[in-house]
Amino acid sequence: MGMFRLMYHFFRIGAMNELQYRVNFWIQLLQSGVALAVGLISLALVFSHTTDLAGWSQTELLVVMGVHIMMGGLIGAVIQPNMLRLMEDIREGTLDFALTKPEDAQIMVSVREIRLWRLVDVILGAILLGTALVLLGDAIGPLQAAGFVVATIFGALMIYSFWIMLTSVAFWVVRVDEMLNLFEGIYAAGRWPVGIYPGWLRGLLTFLVPIAFAVTVPAEALTGRLSGATLGLAALLAIGLLGLSRLVWRIGLRQYGGASA
Amino acid sequence: MHTSAIHVNGLTKVYHVPERQAGLLAAMRSLVQRKVREVHAVENVSFSLAPGEIVGFLGPNGAGKTTTLKMLSGLLFPSGGEVSVLGHVPSRREAAYLKQITLVMGNRNQLQWDLPALDSFELQRAIYRIPTDQFQTTRDEFIEMMEVGDLVRKPVRNLSLGERMKMEIIGALLHRPQVLFLDEPTLGLDVTMQRRIRSFVADYNRRHGATVMLTSHYMADVEALCRRVIVIHHGKVLYDGALSGLVDRFAAYRQLGITLAEPADLGEYGEVVSAEGSKVVLRVPRAEASRITARLLANYALTDLTIEEPPIDDVIAQVFATEADQPAMSG
Repeated sequence: MGMFRLMYHFFRIGAMNELQYRVNFWIQLLQSGVALAVGLISLALVFSHTTDLAGWSQTELLVVMGVHIMMGGLIGAVIQPNMLRLMEDIREGTLDFALTKPEDAQIMVSVREIRLWRLVDVILGAILLGTALVLLGDAIGPLQAAGFVVATIFGALMIYSFWIMLTSVAFWVVRVDEMLNLFEGIYAAGRWPVGIYPGWLRGLLTFLVPIAFAVTVPAEALTGRLSGATLGLAALLAIGLLGLSRLVWRIGLRQYGGASA
Repeated sequence: MHTSAIHVNGLTKVYHVPERQAGLLAAMRSLVQRKVREVHAVENVSFSLAPGEIVGFLGPNGAGKTTTLKMLSGLLFPSGGEVSVLGHVPSRREAAYLKQITLVMGNRNQLQWDLPALDSFELQRAIYRIPTDQFQTTRDEFIEMMEVGDLVRKPVRNLSLGERMKMEIIGALLHRPQVLFLDEPTLGLDVTMQRRIRSFVADYNRRHGATVMLTSHYMADVEALCRRVIVIHHGKVLYDGALSGLVDRFAAYRQLGITLAEPADLGEYGEVVSAEGSKVVLRVPRAEASRITARLLANYALTDLTIEEPPIDDVIAQVFATEADQPAMSG
């Protein structure tokens, strides 16, 4: 519970910070709008040649796109800014203040920053998702909705764990900013269901960078494709990755304090 | 041992620093063959602080002051030795410990840059879980003590360096810590600001009985706050004792302020620091000060004579000039 309390207070501060730069809201809105338009156009282009893509119809792919935009907004608003700040703090040696606080250090470094305006994508993604579901016409049962929420949480946890491990590398290798660009490139691949990619890429997007679980699996929940086995695997992987990320973070922190020296 | 707030015994910190020659070729060679040099930042340092004591921690840049403070505040793992602060081992970073300490670094800030300091204070309240009424009392008390008034409502970016530092210190002490690690808290501030911060620290120490370890390059800070100093150089303790004892032990000379009835050249009596008309400042070896004074009084008509200890800065410089590998002395 302490974590949510802390998140709330940092969110409050972050929101106050961001509200001073209202221009950024309009820039973000423009940027998100353009990205959405490009996404819709490319989808329309693909479906002018075919009626189904690896078993997904055009409207179903709108669901995938909606989830992709939402999750991207969440990563951009919460995960990425915190990890960037962490990289910077490790490099500049300014992590000290976070570490002298009587809170869990990992939680502290994970909630300090928020890019409020990136939440525009969460809203935009939700609207797109809602529209797609209406177009599909199938009623979403409580079980499917619950599956979607649970799968999204697992997916977000996996992406977070991936990020914190990636960032912890900064404890040893001082410059890791470039990995951010790499991640954005890979995340872009999640706009399509991972099933359309060849096996090796699918494996990479599932287990190395868990985008399949963050985007495709929640979308599967809403389109009646999600099996209990997949959800179970997602749960196992989420817990496993979270545990692993905590371990990597702790070893990294010991490195920062010079315990291994 | 439990009567001391801070107890340090044989504390050592060794850094492993990659080493290479300058130049591209050397940089490429270091890719395969990494040479690592051991740097003893802190070596076998021992001291104890009683609860409520304010101790000045002195030393030139790179002496190991900040490294020691970081080990005391749990940021760095010691390579050897024992540290106990308020009965806790700092490197375990227990919440119960961290709630009782604070670390202020004059060259760093933790306030939200774009927001008024009040908002950052609120965040501190949340992080330290300070009860609301205690928080408000402490905050208002500190605001008054620091004389910052309405400045707390201005975005931090619009404050002067000194005003910002005042806010930093208020924010860092809102949870009423029992142990304060102050690393150059007055760095770069003007004299008035320094004085205000000094008296704030003294007040806080008096009101809350907190133990304070202070590093500063401004001897005025140390003179005003610390009766005891620990001098560290090349990672080793050179002196631990009363500030006055430091002057006694290390001041090699005294200064004579002389006003002559008629101008004269006093070069033969000692080093002339300044000579303006009939006013002369003379630097003489400490042991000979009284003999020279007697000779001056016998040979010249003096209208005024003062004998002064040299400025503490000079004394400190003197200490650092002595070899670091001498055994630690106490006074």
